[in-house]
This record gives sequence, structure tokens and C-alpha cells, in this order.
Amino acid sequence: MAQKKAAERTSRPGAPHLLWRRDGDRCLVTNDSGHYAWLGLRDFEALMSGGLSDKHPLYGDLAAKGFVRDRLDFEGLAARWRSANSHLASGPGLHILVLTLRCNHKCLYCQSAAAGVGARDTDMSPATARKCVDFAFGSPNPNITIEFQGGEPLLNWDALTAAVLHARARAARAGKDLQLALVSNFSLMTVEKARFLMENEVSICTSLDGPADLHNRNRVYSGGDSHAATVKWLRYFQEKYKRQVPEYRTFKPSALLTVSRCSLGRHKEIVDEYVKLGLEDVFVRPLAPIGYARKYWDRIGYTAADFAKFYLDSLDYILKLNRSGVVIREKMSATMLEKVLNFRDPGYLDARCPCGAAIGQIAYNYNGDLYTCDEGRMVGWDGDDAFRIGNVRKDSYRKVLTGGAARACVLASNLESQPDCARCVYRPYCGVCPVYNYETQGSLWGDMAVNDRCALFKGTFGALFGLLKKPANEAVLRKWVQK
Amino acid sequence: MTKNSDKASVRVDAAVYSGEALRLAAFVFAGRAGIAVKAAGAGFYAVSFSGAAESFSPGDYFNEALNQQCRLDLAKKNAKAAGMIATRALLSAAGEGKTPKKRA
Repeated sequence: MAQKKAAERTSRPGAPHLLWRRDGDRCLVTNDSGHYAWLGLRDFEALMSGGLSDKHPLYGDLAAKGFVRDRLDFEGLAARWRSANSHLASGPGLHILVLTLRCNHKCLYCQSAAAGVGARDTDMSPATARKCVDFAFGSPNPNITIEFQGGEPLLNWDALTAAVLHARARAARAGKDLQLALVSNFSLMTVEKARFLMENEVSICTSLDGPADLHNRNRVYSGGDSHAATVKWLRYFQEKYKRQVPEYRTFKPSALLTVSRCSLGRHKEIVDEYVKLGLEDVFVRPLAPIGYARKYWDRIGYTAADFAKFYLDSLDYILKLNRSGVVIREKMSATMLEKVLNFRDPGYLDARCPCGAAIGQIAYNYNGDLYTCDEGRMVGWDGDDAFRIGNVRKDSYRKVLTGGAARACVLASNLESQPDCARCVYRPYCGVCPVYNYETQGSLWGDMAVNDRCALFKGTFGALFGLLKKPANEAVLRKWVQK
Repeated sequence: MTKNSDKASVRVDAAVYSGEALRLAAFVFAGRAGIAVKAAGAGFYAVSFSGAAESFSPGDYFNEALNQQCRLDLAKKNAKAAGMIATRALLSAAGEGKTPKKRA
């Protein structure tokens, strides 16, 4: 059969679907396959009108990245999109078990809704902990991460050990890859507990808010010096990491920074503290006005502009340290760069599309109640169960994952249906948080034009793309995400 | 706009705001003001506000109504792609897709 003759063009083809933003005399363009390019205004206009000559020095690069309509490699571009979005076919991989609401700290910003040390009725029973593990293994995801949180999870050692042992046994039976993680303030850590955790390959993460005075001001501990306990056990686990034993893998400990109002202006001291303690990542993340923190926002919170300044000052200082040979990364930047430079999913569920609520993570409260995410659980603590998706004892896995809250979060966080986001140049790398929107703007969709989280993300991406234009910075930033 | 004591009413053009967008925006402000949306003749809606909290501004309400209108318009335009992504994510999470691969 004769091949059908291609229709003749009556006009020049314009650019294929792309996203763009003008920045001075340059334009940043991105596309769904995660490619980006900087163009001068004249080149940008030529590209958009289809007038970019194939002799233009940028033509080959732009064509390879999918910005030239007549040179699209559909299969290659689609494969790249599929690979970066493989989480759409995975199911929940992160399972956060809140072993107790009790805590021996009274942190100024506590977002995890801690109860007093005596409130044993907020402990998860070992039986419920095992039930939660069973529920987690109902996920089709072959890679299961179980994170133990609180309150202070070491206050409920029985449930922790029950969950760890049960999870290891379930993983061996199911042939799934299992990662266990503990988030603890270390104040109740002992050598015996540390040994159990290492033998069962539980990775350790703690909170470190900076030098002693700042840390102890944020993280009030009537039982002693919170900073001293943190430093002591960080060093202990680092030592164990260096002296690996053949029986099990010991993980390098990590720390999380929470930026409160007290932290503003102290970025150098905070970063220096991380470097001094041998930590290679500092995660400069903003406090979210969710749950408990929302109530005290006027005392502990700050504006998006205040945080943006703190963030950029920190990043600037970290880059300066890197250029002088110090090994330290800013984790938020590294996460975003993994998307921008490698177009790989770094597993950061807050910046996925759709977000990780229910489809990527599930939070298990002490009583077996299930929430779309830990932020959703905090809203529940505040008396609003909008993000509760079931209970491990009463509801089947399928019922939970097909319930109203899970579906609503997926739909609301799909950037294809978000005004502003759908046309935003950073869309291929970004994600929205329905819980944040709900708490700050009254709806799951929010209004990105006046959304502080959106402003922060845009500011972060803007800063990173700006830094990538400078060769000295680009070399450092690329190193952060080299595999 | 008409006003009496704690009540105010605004007549808006249905060519700009759909009834659905006006009602969705009313839900967002449910805790801050009583908002009622009624048809007011051909091509218009009457939006009335009552018992508003001090922090409430009708301007914020109409901004939200425009936001909802943009969202509804966009949802129509991108329904196919958005629907495929959401369906894939939900079905896979519920265990009804292909078995995903282990991490490398």
C-alpha cells in the first residue's frame, strides 16, 4: 500500500509544549521531561515562533532536550518522564509509626503534638505496632521504609523492639527490601539500646538546632542538657559507623535542623556546628504553621521573606565552605538539584506530583489511626480528622487507599490541575502540600499566587538556577548530586 | 453593592464567575463569614455576606472565587492528563497495577 503523503505545512511550527520564565535579559525554559535551558530573549522568541535556524549554535542542544518541535524524540522523552515518575506505580513506601505522643522535651516549635511523660495512654501497644507493620507490608511497594517517631520513641521501647523484630521477619518472608529508621532526641539512649538498633540495621536520625545555647533554647529539656546528649550519641554512632563490623551494616547518623525565630541570623554558627560534628548534610527547612506550631506561630514563626533570607545566607555560606574544601551539603538544595540536574526522584514526598499523601506514605498514630502523612496526623491532633484515612484494626488496606481523603489529596496535589503550577517553569521539579494549603488557606488546593510555601519553593528554585549559571558554584552543586 | 448593618450583598456577572466557583470559594471562607450565593436574574449572581469576622474581606473571597474559576477551567483543559496521572497513582497504591521493581 502506498504511504500516505505527509501534509504540507502552511505555517512555521512553533515550539512544542514548554514552560518558561523571564529573568532579566534571559529566559529559563523547561519541559515535562525535566530538561532546562537558558536562552537570550532573541533566541527565545525565535524558538517560540519556530524561527530558530538549524545552524544556530544552540539548535542541537535544544533539539536533544525536546525543545524543537520537528526534532522530538518521543520515546526518549517519554522514557525520561516515566523513569522520574516511577513513584506513580509504586504505592506507599514510607510508613511512619508514632510509637508514643509522650516526650521528655518541650520544644518551642513541637509539630509532633507531644504529650507529657506521664501520658502512657498515648503509647502504642506492641500488638498495635505489629499490626501497623503488617499493614505496611500490604503495600505493593517492594521497598518499605518504616520510620519510628514520637513524641520520643525511646519512651516506648517495648513497641519499638516489637515492631523492629516483626518487620525484619516480615521482610524476610515477603522478599521485600526493608529500611528502618529512628528519629530520637537521644536523651534516653543507652549502649544496650544502641546495640539492638545497630544489630537490626536501624538508621538513626536526631534533631540538632545549632550550637548549645540555641539548641537548648529551642529544645527545652528539664532532665538535663539536650545538646550534650545529642552530641554524645552522634559521636558514638559516628564512631560505630567508622568501625563497621562484618555482622551488620552500621549507618552514618544524621540530624535534622528546625529553623525557629531564634535561629534567624545565626546561619553561620548553625552550619559550623554541623561541620564540627562531622555531619555532611544540613537540611535548612522552614517551620510549617501546622497543628501545634500554628497555635504559637506569633511567638515562634516568621515570614516567608525572613526564611528566604536565612536560607539564601545559609546556602551562600555552605557554598563558600565547599569551595574551601569542607564537605557539607544543604539537603533541600541537594534534593531539588537531584530533580533539576538528574531528573531523578530523590524520594522527597513533599515535592512530588501528586504529593506523597497516602500514595507514597502513611502515618500511623499510637492508637492505630492512619493518616495521609505526618502533617495530616498533626492536623488530627488539633481536632480535625480531615486527613484520617482509617485504622489498622478496622480497615482493609484497599479501603484505606481508595478512601475519600486519599483521593482528594491526590487530585488536589496534581499540578496539572493547579492554576499557576500548570504553567510554572519549575513544575517539572515541584510539588504542593494539600495539608499546608488546608491549614493556611482553607482548602486542599490553596491559592498558589499568595501561598508562602509556593513562594519559598519558587525562591529556592530561582536561587539554584541562578547559582547554576556561575561555573564555580555549578561545579560544587553538581558534585552534591553525583552518583 | 448593598449594605445594611452586618449584612452586605454583591451582584456579580456570571460571565466572570460560575456558580460553582462562587460556592466553592464560600466553603473556603465558611469559618469566617456566612456567604450565600443565589441566581439574580439572567446572567448574574447575588452573593450576600453576613456575620463576618473582623479578618474577613469580601475582596479575599472574590480572589478565591477567581482562583476556583481558574482551577475549574484548567481542570477541563487538562482533565485527560490529570485523570491518567491520578488514576495511575491511586490504582497502583491500592495494589491494582503491575508489581513495581525493587530499589537498585
